[in-house]
Amino acid sequence: MTLERFDWLGFLASKIPDDALVMSTYIGAVSFEWAHHTEEHPRSAHLGQMGDVVGLALGLALALPHRKVVCLDGDGSVLMELGQLVAMGQHCPSNLVVFVVDNGVYESIGWGANGRRTTATSHTSNLASIAASCGVPHTADVTTQDQLSEETDLAFSRDVCSFINVRTAPGPSHVEPRRTDGIEDKYRFVRYVEQLEDLWITGVPPQDIGLMKG
Amino acid sequence: MLEHAAEEAILGLEDAGIDFVSGLPDGWQRNLHELVEQNDSFHYAPACNEGVAFSMCAGAWLGGKKSALIMENSGIRVASEYIARISLGTGVPVTLLCSYRGDVGETEHWGIPHGIVAEPLLQALRVKYLVVRHVEDLRKSIVRAKRLSEASLHPVAVLISGDCVWDDERAN
Repeated sequence: MTLERFDWLGFLASKIPDDALVMSTYIGAVSFEWAHHTEEHPRSAHLGQMGDVVGLALGLALALPHRKVVCLDGDGSVLMELGQLVAMGQHCPSNLVVFVVDNGVYESIGWGANGRRTTATSHTSNLASIAASCGVPHTADVTTQDQLSEETDLAFSRDVCSFINVRTAPGPSHVEPRRTDGIEDKYRFVRYVEQLEDLWITGVPPQDIGLMKG
Repeated sequence: MLEHAAEEAILGLEDAGIDFVSGLPDGWQRNLHELVEQNDSFHYAPACNEGVAFSMCAGAWLGGKKSALIMENSGIRVASEYIARISLGTGVPVTLLCSYRGDVGETEHWGIPHGIVAEPLLQALRVKYLVVRHVEDLRKSIVRAKRLSEASLHPVAVLISGDCVWDDERAN
């Protein structure tokens, strides 16, 4: 069994705590639909790409241990750098929850003569099992809406480092592509975090500060 | 890395305001990793490869930390995928401290390819770098590298070699 991506991302968006931060992949249907459901809220950093989304989220979670950090990634991306799961299990920050849109295919490359190109999760690999064997304290391989509801409640009601793999039906984006690039997304997210945490992330040049002195 | 060089590197990291360190220990910087791990000024989060370590450093910067990645120069090759995706793509600074294996004076045959590839690869990634061969230059070089990294919103590297790592009487 699988869930429909657009629907379950909408469900997750409705459940996410207001004060959480999100590290999302920035290319493809997951990003487009998440941005749609969250109305481009600046708490979401659409900065991750193939192989680095979990690593970015892990760093963010370690930097802000009091803040819930939600990661949205795809199966192809996680498979590209399984060392991220090793690091996640090694450090397992209790404020980090990873949701994987596991549709079993490389959706973004489109269709070939023989249909979609499948990923290893369609055949031999199970990401939740891999994460568990890396030491991630809570993992789940979700195939139904009831399971997703249960796992979402757990994820947002307690502090346990979690890896939730959601078996998802392949299919094109239900919404238009986003129009921003990574640079604009970075600044939007950084300004939001600066305000939220009352800190400066990008610096002010010392010479400019000197201009303020009498 | 010679002990007094490792101590200078720690001072450089502290002076630079670095408070998050990831990486993968190597033969030369093993003692530097140990000093970082024991120092409360730093959140130390090692990884199993330098690519993951770079992603973690970048994520920590987005959360307000000042990040450094300590690795052998062979790790630049591993990290290059994520330096390109994250830093060339979006502009995120990370200070890189790299053992310069394969530099003039190298004793190990396996270090030679690391020395051949490191500088051209940094140049391809538009990562500016300093090669530090004197211990007295190490502390300020780390501070300057971090300063440029923050100003340019891109990684800057310090390649560590020479008197920082070799006692020539023992190496010969």
